[in-house]
Order: sequence, then structure tokens, then C-alpha cells
Amino acid sequence: MTLSESLFENLRLELRRGCLTLAVLAQLKQEHYGYTLRKALASRGMEIEESTLYPLLRRLESQGLLTSEWREEEKRNKRFYRLSGEGEQIFARLLEEWNQINTAITNLL
Amino acid sequence: MELLDRYLQAVKRHLPWERQDDIIAELRANLEAQLEDKEAELGRPLTKEEAEEWLKHFGSPLQVAGRYQRQQYLIGPAVFPVYWFVLRLSLTWCAAIYMIAKAVEIAANGASAGAIIGAIAYLPWVLLINAAVVTLVFAGIEAAGTRYPGKCVPMAPMAPAWSPADLPPLGADGKKKPRSFAKALAEVIFGFLFLGWLLLVPHYPYLMFGPGAWYLASLPYKLAAVWWPFYWCCVTINSFELTWKTVDLVRGAWQGQKVLRHFAMHVLALILLGVLMTAPGRALFLLKNPAADAAKLGAQLATANKGVETGITIAFAIVVLQLVWGVGKLSVGAWRKRLAAAR
Repeated sequence: MTLSESLFENLRLELRRGCLTLAVLAQLKQEHYGYTLRKALASRGMEIEESTLYPLLRRLESQGLLTSEWREEEKRNKRFYRLSGEGEQIFARLLEEWNQINTAITNLL
Repeated sequence: MELLDRYLQAVKRHLPWERQDDIIAELRANLEAQLEDKEAELGRPLTKEEAEEWLKHFGSPLQVAGRYQRQQYLIGPAVFPVYWFVLRLSLTWCAAIYMIAKAVEIAANGASAGAIIGAIAYLPWVLLINAAVVTLVFAGIEAAGTRYPGKCVPMAPMAPAWSPADLPPLGADGKKKPRSFAKALAEVIFGFLFLGWLLLVPHYPYLMFGPGAWYLASLPYKLAAVWWPFYWCCVTINSFELTWKTVDLVRGAWQGQKVLRHFAMHVLALILLGVLMTAPGRALFLLKNPAADAAKLGAQLATANKGVETGITIAFAIVVLQLVWGVGKLSVGAWRKRLAAAR
């Protein structure tokens, strides 16, 4: 990987990091478990690697933005996540911030 | 699937023990669901090679487990600026204290080349231990802040309170104000007065000691012969500095910082102290009448001479450190300027 490619990759990951959190919070207005969440996000054009998504869900839960429960579905125990009350509030504020940034960037380009 | 079990077992080994069962159960559910989908797509079970490829895509067990760690860095961006400031400060003080302590120790035990080389060789280890301790303390602060976010004091308020009004005035950091003509002239005038006073002191000691000069003359002690070369070195150095300042004044070059003169004065100070260190037997004070007073005052005088000698050695070490520090600072400044110009 050349220096400029490596720099681009770092900046891309940095840019994506916050967006991924926003995308996950948006998708978890409906209940999902890890795998279906990943599929749902991918179907809307937001591909996330499993090794990034599953730890992210844990972190968001430990921060109180998500709630989870173990439940049996199709004869298998799965952990289902959804937005918590606090998560909904934070998501609304983040969305507002995102819209402002998006508008500003669009105006700049 | 045996390969998946082996994979999850390997991941589990690197997970935090208190959450590993829960994480593995969730990972298993997600991976098995994914596997089922893949196999349904293909209409057959995955071959061994396909299963290996699929798990390889997921990431190495160490990498996967690492992402479940609460903290993936030793010192984060919130703590780092304070850590870096404290580290630099502690390393500077540690080096200074160590060198002064070693200089005193060497002076007290008698200077030898081996002792000096040993002290210098041990310095990197002292600095390394210091840096490790500071890093560990800050890593602990970071870990506590990450683990108990609500209970620990956040790091940002730990930054020292400051007000823009307290910022140092312009020029106090490196770019000093140019010296005024009045100041330069006053320095030359007082320099001449000081030199005149210095030349008169040997003939009229009361100019230095006041009425105490007659009391000192009555004591059974006298100065060693080495004080005369020391005295003339003092006179020479003062004459040299005064000449330099006068030439600058006449040439109209009194402004600007005299870096070269600053270093020259340090070197001359070293020569001055070096002269005293050449005293025979390191005895700077002698008895006027050794035959009569040696038994009574000899031990007392030897202790006094030893104390003065230690003081001179410490002063010598301090001047050397000042010189090294000054040269180092100047070199770093020049290097930074060159680097900035190259950019």
C-alpha cells in the first residue's frame, strides 16, 4: 500500500466510524439480532464487517444507548437489540448534527 | 461444525473472563445463522476449504477478541496532552536531580573516570524507569476513566486552569526585546567601576570586607597561592567582557542577543573554577604558622578545605550542565529552523 493509499484508508475509516454508529442506531429503531442487523444494513448500502458490528453493539449497550435480551428464535438463542429511551434521544440529536454537517458539506462543494 | 467450535474456543481464550461466555454465545448464534444462510444459498454444506475461507474473512481470533476489549489503547487522546506534558517535565527534573546528586556523590568520594562514566551510562536507565512509571500511572488513570466513566473525574477538567490574561507577554519565549542603548551604556559604565574596584581590592581589602578585613587579618589563616592566578583570571575575564561590550557599543551593535558571548562566559567560568581545582593538595586555605598551629587547627582547616572543594566541584558541574543545556537548546532550535525551512 502506498503512502497516499494508506493515508486515504485511515481517513476513510475515521470518516466511517461515526457514520456506522449513526447507521446502527437508525436501524435499531426496530429490534434485530447481530446477523439480521448486518443484513438489513447491507441491503441499504451500509456494509459493516461482523468483527466491527458485534463489538460495536456491545459498546453501545454498555453506554446505555441500546437494550438487549436473549430470546429463542428458530430453535436458537439469540441476543436481540433495540434502541433504549436514552438511545432514542441521543440518536435524535446525532441525526440533527448529521443533517447540519451534511448541509454544510453540500454547501461547500 | 467442528471448525467453528475450534474458532470460538480460540476467540474465548482472549476475551475478558467475566464476559466471555456471553460474548461467545452471541457470536455463535450470529455465525451459525450466517453459516445456515450460506449453506442454504449453496444448497449444500460448506467444504472444509470454504469454511476455512469464511472464518479467515471474519478475522483472527486475537483480532476479533481484541475488539471486545473495553479499552484498546494505553493512553487515549483526552489524557495524552497532560501525560506528554508531565512526562517531559518529569524527565527533565529527573535528569537534573540525578546529575546533581551524582556530582555531589562523586565529589564527596573523590572523582574518578570510572565513577563519571558509570554515572553517565546509568542515566538512560534512570530516565527509562522514570518514563515507565509516569506511563503506568497515566495508563491507570485512563483505564479507571474507561472502566468507571461516571465515577472518575473526567480528564479535561484536570488540565490546569488558565486565563488568557495570564499568558506570557510577547517576546518572553525566545524572541526577547532588543536591549536598549541606556541599558548597554549602563552595563559598560558599571563594568568599568567594578573592574576598578576589583583591581583595588588586593591593596585595600576593606573595600571587600569592610571593617571585617582587620579581623580576617588577625586570624591564623591565609589564602593559598592559587588564589592569585584565580584573581588575575577574574580580572582578565572581566576585562574581556568589558572590552567586548564596549566594542559592541561603539559599533552600534548593543542590540540583539549575545549567544556567543554567553557561551564564552560559561567557558571562562569553567577555567576560573578549574584554576581553583589545581590548588596543591586541594588546600585553598592554609595556616600562617603551620609549625605552631597545625596540631590545634589542622583538622578543622582540612574539613573547611574539603567543604570548599566540594562546593567548587558542584559549581563546576552546574556550569558544565548549563553549557551543555545551552548548546543543546541552540542545536535543537537550529535543527527546527532548518526543518521548517525545508518544508
